[in-house]
Amino acid sequence: MFFLSWRQLVTRKKQTFLILLGISFGTLLFVAISGIQLGMRKYISEQLLNNTAHILISSEERKVDPIKVTDVLYGENGMVRWISAPSGLREEVKLQNYNGWYDLLSHDPRVVDFSPRYIAQAVLTNGKFDTAVNLVGVIPDKHVRVTKIEKYISEGKFSSLKGSNNIILGSQVADDLGLKVDQYVRINAGKGNPKTFKVSGIFHFGNEQVDKSMAFANLLDVQVLTKNPGRVNEIAVALFDIDISSEVANEWQMISSDKVQDWQEANQSFMEMIKVQDLTRYFITTAVLIVAAFGIYNVLTIMINQKRKEIAILRAIGYGPQKIFELILYQGLVLGIAGGALGLLLGYLLCLYVGSIELSIEIGGGHTLWIAYDLSTYFIAFISANISSIIASIIPAHAASKLTPMEIIRSD
Amino acid sequence: MIECENIIKSFGSPPQEVLHGLSFRIDDGEFVSISGRSGSGKSTLLYLISSLDIPTSGLVKIDQRNLNTMSPEVMHHFRNVEVGFIFQFHYLLPELSALENVLLPARNLNLLKEKENLARELLDKLGILKLASKFPGQLSGGEQQRVAIARALIMKPRYIFADEPTGNLDSINGKIVMDILREVNQTDGTTICLVTHDSGFAAMAQREIYLVDGKIVNRERVAQ
Repeated sequence: MFFLSWRQLVTRKKQTFLILLGISFGTLLFVAISGIQLGMRKYISEQLLNNTAHILISSEERKVDPIKVTDVLYGENGMVRWISAPSGLREEVKLQNYNGWYDLLSHDPRVVDFSPRYIAQAVLTNGKFDTAVNLVGVIPDKHVRVTKIEKYISEGKFSSLKGSNNIILGSQVADDLGLKVDQYVRINAGKGNPKTFKVSGIFHFGNEQVDKSMAFANLLDVQVLTKNPGRVNEIAVALFDIDISSEVANEWQMISSDKVQDWQEANQSFMEMIKVQDLTRYFITTAVLIVAAFGIYNVLTIMINQKRKEIAILRAIGYGPQKIFELILYQGLVLGIAGGALGLLLGYLLCLYVGSIELSIEIGGGHTLWIAYDLSTYFIAFISANISSIIASIIPAHAASKLTPMEIIRSD
Repeated sequence: MIECENIIKSFGSPPQEVLHGLSFRIDDGEFVSISGRSGSGKSTLLYLISSLDIPTSGLVKIDQRNLNTMSPEVMHHFRNVEVGFIFQFHYLLPELSALENVLLPARNLNLLKEKENLARELLDKLGILKLASKFPGQLSGGEQQRVAIARALIMKPRYIFADEPTGNLDSINGKIVMDILREVNQTDGTTICLVTHDSGFAAMAQREIYLVDGKIVNRERVAQ
């Protein structure tokens, strides 16, 4: 019956073309929106993973609890009315038992590597100019194994941090302070005397917020600078399988009072945004495909009414209901496959075009949008177009298959 | 052989009887015309004996097989292979060429290659071979009806049921169609049941079943 279906489609060129456009528009929309959204998500995810890796173990801020203070000082039955209740942090933020974590992470087979970090607020000064940054103390060899930091080093090498009192600045920080590689900068971390570090490299994430507020140094140097020897307040952990991040984080959370978060939990607001984006994308595409499906339904229903005589003769010469069903269904299938394929092509071309537009903002080191070309997106778009076409064809096809020659001949 | 026993056909609600207990027999190789005035029930009778419709009561048997109890699969095969239909409004598929229309019954059984030569022979015999690649919209009414006749003959059916095949044609084309049917009947022994309101064409058959208000009158007049 495919031959007949094909002939009927080809004969109705205008109708066929309009329906093809409808389906391909739905597919195009899904591919283009997905390409842009997923590309953006890939960029942001990479940025987030650079910071948190797959799991981030960080110190919990512990604040003074007036009730507990009362209990300790005056006993559980003590009645105290504080004029000014005790408040503030109980202690400096730090991991409770870094050595314990070191031991656990070194022996867990799921862990690729981990990067202990000590992050301190510091003020960098060059001549008359100064700027505040988050100074991240890292062990260079470990840090490059859990993040893609090396990819973003625009000048110098990240391994230069192995040397003593070296610092790698965010590109914006270096610009603001007028610093270049091999020049020196004074660092004041609040405690002790300021120290002079040599600029051994510059990184450029392409994210202005990060590039103007972050600097990397050796963990040991930061601990000495802040007079906190052995102190670590974060451990970024890379796993062999990112998909078990949540499960592993929950497992470790059970054995520690430190905060253990997988990368999605650590970036919850971003993940919420992704969910909303996904919903919007699927909603728009579903709406367009429903409209296209109604188009198919209408065209096929009209076609069946126009072709009643032909269906009558087919039935009279021995074509059974199944053959008539196929005659109509194949038309929906062809429209779905051709419309879907056309939509994929147009969507791909649109993605290429959007990805080539130069923007005034910087994204990940370039001035164009990151576009994702995931095969799964194209697969989902194609399958969706076909499912909607099949559903839209089944109803008229079923109705046509139920027509008997006599019903048609009598109604004429 | 077609046998009808006391067939009644009613339509509507409350039911209105259109055919009133008809009983008759059509032997193999006969050329029978069913005639009568408009509304006499001749087309209804043709559809009943050709398996397209079922009687309200009574029995229609073709070759000892009861049409009422035939399974759908057997029925479709029967219509495909043993029966050829010719309608007043030819019912050609406009998106197919004349040759493709002729081969429609063969296409259903995947016998296109086997039947193509016969299709061309039939078109040649009907004088329209040069129009084989033309579409119905490019043919005259008479040519279209000849294509429909070729389609009815392509499976070499044992029965041909024709409902006013000349009704839409001028007298010359009507005569051509009747001559073709008569020739098929005489050379191939095909049983032909022809509905017509034209007494001239009805008289060309071996036997005429004449209906008046759903009843057979003056039945079994042997053609001179």
